Amino acid sequence: MSEDKINALERMIETFLMTSNLPEDMDLESPDMKVFLESMPEGKRTAFLTMAKDLDVRKMSNAFNTAMSKYWDTVLQAKSRGKKVVFIPFNCSPEIFYALDIIPVGVEVLTTFTAILEEGLEKYLDLAVERGLPDTMCSSQRGTVGLLEAGLLDKPDLLVNGSLGSCDPNSKIFEYMSEKFDIPALYLDIPFYHDQRSLDYYTKGFRQVVEVLEELSGNKLDVDRLKEVCELSNRATELFLEINEIKKMIPNPVPNYYNQIHLGTKLLMAGTQDAVDIFQTALDVCQARLKKGSHVMPEEKIRLMMMYTGLYFDGGVHLWLEEEMGVSYLLDLLVYYDFNPIIDTSNIETMINGLADGMFNLPMTRQLKGGWDMPNNWLQDCLYYVDTYKADCLVFTGHTACKQVWGVYRLQLSES
Amino acid sequence: MKAFKELTEISGSRQNSYVSAWKDQGKKVVGYVCSYMPEEILHAADILPYRINGKGVSDMSQADAYLSRVNCSFSRCCLELGFRGEYDFLDGAVWINGCDHIRRCYDNWKAKRPFPFMHMLPVPHKIFPEGRQWYKEEVISFKEAVEAYFGVKITDDKIAEACSVYNETRKLLRKLYDKRTEDEPGFTGPEINTILSASVSMPKPEFNHLLEQVLQETQTVKEGSKKSIRLLVAGSIMDDQGFIENIEEMGAVVVADAFCLGAKNFWDLMDENGNVFENLIDRYYTHSPCPRMAGEYPTRLNFIKEQIERANVEGVILEHIKFCDLHGTDNALLKKDLEKAGIATLELERQYGPLADSGRIRTRVQAFLERIKA
Ligand code: SF4
Ligand code: SF4
Repeated sequence: MSEDKINALERMIETFLMTSNLPEDMDLESPDMKVFLESMPEGKRTAFLTMAKDLDVRKMSNAFNTAMSKYWDTVLQAKSRGKKVVFIPFNCSPEIFYALDIIPVGVEVLTTFTAILEEGLEKYLDLAVERGLPDTMCSSQRGTVGLLEAGLLDKPDLLVNGSLGSCDPNSKIFEYMSEKFDIPALYLDIPFYHDQRSLDYYTKGFRQVVEVLEELSGNKLDVDRLKEVCELSNRATELFLEINEIKKMIPNPVPNYYNQIHLGTKLLMAGTQDAVDIFQTALDVCQARLKKGSHVMPEEKIRLMMMYTGLYFDGGVHLWLEEEMGVSYLLDLLVYYDFNPIIDTSNIETMINGLADGMFNLPMTRQLKGGWDMPNNWLQDCLYYVDTYKADCLVFTGHTACKQVWGVYRLQLSES
Repeated sequence: MKAFKELTEISGSRQNSYVSAWKDQGKKVVGYVCSYMPEEILHAADILPYRINGKGVSDMSQADAYLSRVNCSFSRCCLELGFRGEYDFLDGAVWINGCDHIRRCYDNWKAKRPFPFMHMLPVPHKIFPEGRQWYKEEVISFKEAVEAYFGVKITDDKIAEACSVYNETRKLLRKLYDKRTEDEPGFTGPEINTILSASVSMPKPEFNHLLEQVLQETQTVKEGSKKSIRLLVAGSIMDDQGFIENIEEMGAVVVADAFCLGAKNFWDLMDENGNVFENLIDRYYTHSPCPRMAGEYPTRLNFIKEQIERANVEGVILEHIKFCDLHGTDNALLKKDLEKAGIATLELERQYGPLADSGRIRTRVQAFLERIKA
């Protein structure tokens, strides 16, 4: 790989490192800091302030950014260390890959982080389209295609799409990358329904994927290693759910910023100690805030929930909502994980079943594979989240690419 | 040309004379939207399968109140007609989860103006043994739903009979397509489109009879067709004679296609020996795959290449309806691979509907044809 080719990941790692150790006594009003802040473009400044302004948040962001710099470094070094890399979408869990010593990279997370590069993300979104990809496809994957087109990323060894049928752009982009860049691809079909028959079918497909992964990695699935990964994943889930309990309080002590990090943690690192550490730090912060009576400042006026996508490309939006309007940002349904089961680690069978069950219930896959008002689908889950987290309002921020959501959001609104 | 005239009339009206005559006998008509729907099941139940289309819509305001501007205009036009009651002559409808747009069209239709019988027949998104089993189970439950709702018995014998009628249609359509491959094609693109539209809006035995006559009648050579540039057109649903006419007026003749209402729909015959029901499942599940089937891109590319060779094609137009991610993405890959194979290719984004955007399309086609001539 040539020098400039590794630039994208290298530069991302640099930024994560730079922001991974913000001191507790950091003074944003100091002259040096003011100069530093002035030197930043506005978007980046707000993103920086979102994670730096508040000491509680700073603790979370330090843990997150430290783990991220380490994670991306592992991706960067994969080839030289003889490790295989697989690209997956956000509705595909990473645990099985860790268990087989393969490095999973979530394409949507990668695209989102591209925004922290100096040149920004737009250039890569455009490049993907210039080279053929329709502009109506999902931009959260398009950035990764752009980086591949630009030669700023190594090709992965494999592509795995975990849910054919819940979103056409989401699965079609994998076929596109496979054909365009000559990368082998595996697909898991997701049925239209949410019942035992469907789960059994899906689990069978998942097992077939595991077999191919074993071949690819040259590693046989080791029960002890799998157990270790599943236990770490379970621990992260438990911590996530504990934070959710705190979120249900009125006012909500969980800082809005937390919504910016739980997703990347879950998608890239579930099954690792780093994910546990991030969630543990976040939980400690939230518990301390609960004790202190801290919450959205100065006053929680509105408890807001996004009924589908959030605003992932604007690092400053959570802070702005909080400061300007007293909005407590509860969640966006596209990336919330209340339906992820705790994996039964009794034996290899139960673990595989548990992992498949987890993927079957990932957001989007769960809510969009069938009819919007079917059991365990979009309408029901939306009502569950509103009720559980006591949301005052729902906001629909549909991305142009989410055609299946745009196709029924009016029905959904009329029922919500 | 009597038979062709009749087919033209049929393709031009929604509740055509055959549908009316069918209903006058007290028999049922059921709509469907996709080529993964095994029509033979309905035929075997003495129910007329009718392919839903969105032709003739210029104002989509009712559909737009539910589907959105990012949903493809085909799905919106179909829903518009549904909401307006223009499909009220149907006694039911069966949907396939073909793509995100069309399954949402189903959701809205079902929520706001449901037919007495509405069925979703979900098809897996890849071809593999477990998927085939899944599809088979879904076809069985569809068959049972038809039997229960309409109070009919669909026997194996009736399915076998239906299969042979449908195979006959496919064979005749292939003969029709053979005529397109000739040096001086016997049919224009719009004429083929007319015949195809009629084929999915009337009883198959009568259609077969009419098509046989058309094949005998049409010995005449289309004037000037020899001088025209021979094109293959492929992409999103195409039942729009005007679009093809527009292309041909620029000095081309469409001699082949790869549409789900064209060659891809009828090319694969069904094995009539052995267990007919199993063969029916195989035929529909593995027929020339639509871009919704993941991992099947090479098959789709090869299909087009075969059609190019058969019909001596000089250029390919790949069209997709705006927001159709499935065909849009496939077209981008196809363009790259066809150009690499030395085949001149043009990619066009369009709207579904009567000659929408025709000026821009004409300009681009003209430039493309000039490129081929040069
Ligand atoms: S549902 Fe929307 S955000 Fe999710 S992958 Fe599909 S297009 Fe992208
Ligand atoms: S044209 Fe494309 S988007 Fe529209 S219904 Fe057909 S496959 Fe779906």
